[in-house]
Amino acid sequence: MKISKEARRFARELFTLSLTNGRLDAGKVSDLADQLVAERPRGYAQILREYTRLARLELERRHAIVDSAVPLDEAHVSSLRSDLASKFGDDLTIEFRTNPALIGGLRIQVGSDVWDGTVSNRLHLLSQQL
Amino acid sequence: MNAPSTSLQSVCDRAFADISEARKSFTPRLIPHEVGTITSVATGIANVSGLPGAGFEEVLRFPGDVYGIAFNVDPDEIGVVLLGDYWQLHAGDEVQRRGHVMDVPVGDELIGRVVNPLGRPLDGNGPVNTSGRLPIERPAAPIMDRAPVTVPLQTGLTVIDALIPIGLGQRELILGDRQTGKTAIAVDTILNQRGKNLLCVYCAIGQRASAVAKTVANLREKGAMDYTIVVVAEGNDPPGLTYIAPYAATSIAEHFMEAGRDVLIVYDDLTQHARAYRELSLLLRRPPGREAFPGDIFFIHSRLLERATHLSDERGGGSLTALPIIETEAQDIAAYIPTNLISITDGQIYLSPSLFELGVLPAVDVGKSVSRVGGKAQRAAYRAVAGDLKLAYAQFEELETFARFGARLDEGTRKNIEHGRRIRACLKQPEFAPVSVPAQIAVLLALTTGLFDPVPLDRMPEAEHAVQEAAANTPAEVGARFDTAAKLNDEDRKTILEIARKALAPFQPKPEAKKKS
Repeated sequence: MKISKEARRFARELFTLSLTNGRLDAGKVSDLADQLVAERPRGYAQILREYTRLARLELERRHAIVDSAVPLDEAHVSSLRSDLASKFGDDLTIEFRTNPALIGGLRIQVGSDVWDGTVSNRLHLLSQQL
Repeated sequence: MNAPSTSLQSVCDRAFADISEARKSFTPRLIPHEVGTITSVATGIANVSGLPGAGFEEVLRFPGDVYGIAFNVDPDEIGVVLLGDYWQLHAGDEVQRRGHVMDVPVGDELIGRVVNPLGRPLDGNGPVNTSGRLPIERPAAPIMDRAPVTVPLQTGLTVIDALIPIGLGQRELILGDRQTGKTAIAVDTILNQRGKNLLCVYCAIGQRASAVAKTVANLREKGAMDYTIVVVAEGNDPPGLTYIAPYAATSIAEHFMEAGRDVLIVYDDLTQHARAYRELSLLLRRPPGREAFPGDIFFIHSRLLERATHLSDERGGGSLTALPIIETEAQDIAAYIPTNLISITDGQIYLSPSLFELGVLPAVDVGKSVSRVGGKAQRAAYRAVAGDLKLAYAQFEELETFARFGARLDEGTRKNIEHGRRIRACLKQPEFAPVSVPAQIAVLLALTTGLFDPVPLDRMPEAEHAVQEAAANTPAEVGARFDTAAKLNDEDRKTILEIARKALAPFQPKPEAKKKS
């Protein structure tokens, strides 16, 4: 659905206001959303939709997905958590998933960035070299 | 029984040796890459979210080895033009950045091959193993690297070589309605380059697969595939592939030009290219302009054709001559795309459906055709006759309309018309029958001096053929001067005319008949 320029600009301003030290602040987000719904400015539905999208994208940027072929044991999980937290900050949410198709190794995705050290990826790269 | 199993063994050994070699040299490295997600897929395009670092025209990889080019780069979403089978893609699929712009394999290995715009073979002759790759979009040569057009390109078609000459590095548009012989002119030009150390690239854009197959079969049959590369985007390919086809073909040709070789490229045709781009632009919601074409429709063709040039000697002296083809509708050469192309190119060859219906083939309308730079490159021998020929032919075309009404005409006018009819007969030429330079010059000289005038019109093809055959006996030193001399000297002129006179002797009417008239 098309969003007007004004709504997009307004949503961006709200998004900037909901950041504390460059990180999304949950308290501020809910306060701003409540205020927006209460005041109902022109095109508030569009603004809210765009604001939600921006917030979701920001949350995805702060979300890590760890894929492995077999479930990881506690020691691995905790060392991964501490490593990722030291690299990306404490507020990073981490999701662990299992995918046997990876054969072995780990695939870590944080936002749009992917580190793929899986056996299936290496085999794919090798097949491309041939 | 033993021999095949041994050869099979050796094939397997070789294959496994290659694999183990590749495995040894392969060092896995953990390189981070960016991934995004498909938000929507439509005919030939996809929208992708994520990939904050993706640049304009960057290649993106979709599942199933489908590639795409980032066309609309917004902060939150990227509009991608897809270059493969997109029906297997779904919203939510992962998209990878490749970190480079679209490129195409280039090199000698491509000569004689039929490939798609991504460089993948379509002729079933195995993979194309080239060493180099070039981006499909490249800047045109800067002004200081360009040399003027001075060397002629012989098309083998008398009407073009004499009246609308083309030079190496020129862009000459071929335009006309459907079924007027546009492709035939381009293919004839390619056929005439046999043994002339000139490479040809034929780029079929959005054509019917049967038409492309016919053209390729013709090229192969006449032995032209030895020096030709065919780049094909078929009519049923995604519009993205049709859009990149001429750029990819130009990069393939530029590789040879930059190595100092002369290259001819045919774009058949740019009307389909403009339509494919309009389709993509409308799907990507870019604002439509005149005839629903986007605002940059002029630029997509000008930046393509600006890449055709003659390089200076310091840059190797190679050249790229472009013959873009445009299909007009109802003879409207003032439509949007034809006028754009006419203003970009260095001249045009207009093919008229009315001439085609009259059986004048190639149906070149000399009055509406022009070559803006080729005249300077034309051989001196042609230049000596071209002026008279053009004037006489233009006069004839004016007078012909009167003659149709059966009006009584004075002797001078009647002579002009008879002379004009013979010019037209000599400019007619069947398909796939290029004529050599000495044969063309002999016919044209005989024509302008009036040697053909007494020949009955129904015997003109035979008479012309006789002169062409006799021209093969032109003394070698005279033939050599066709290429070098600034002006055809009187001695050479006499020699050629004598040869033509002898060849035409059997076609002259009997002396008593001549006395009566």
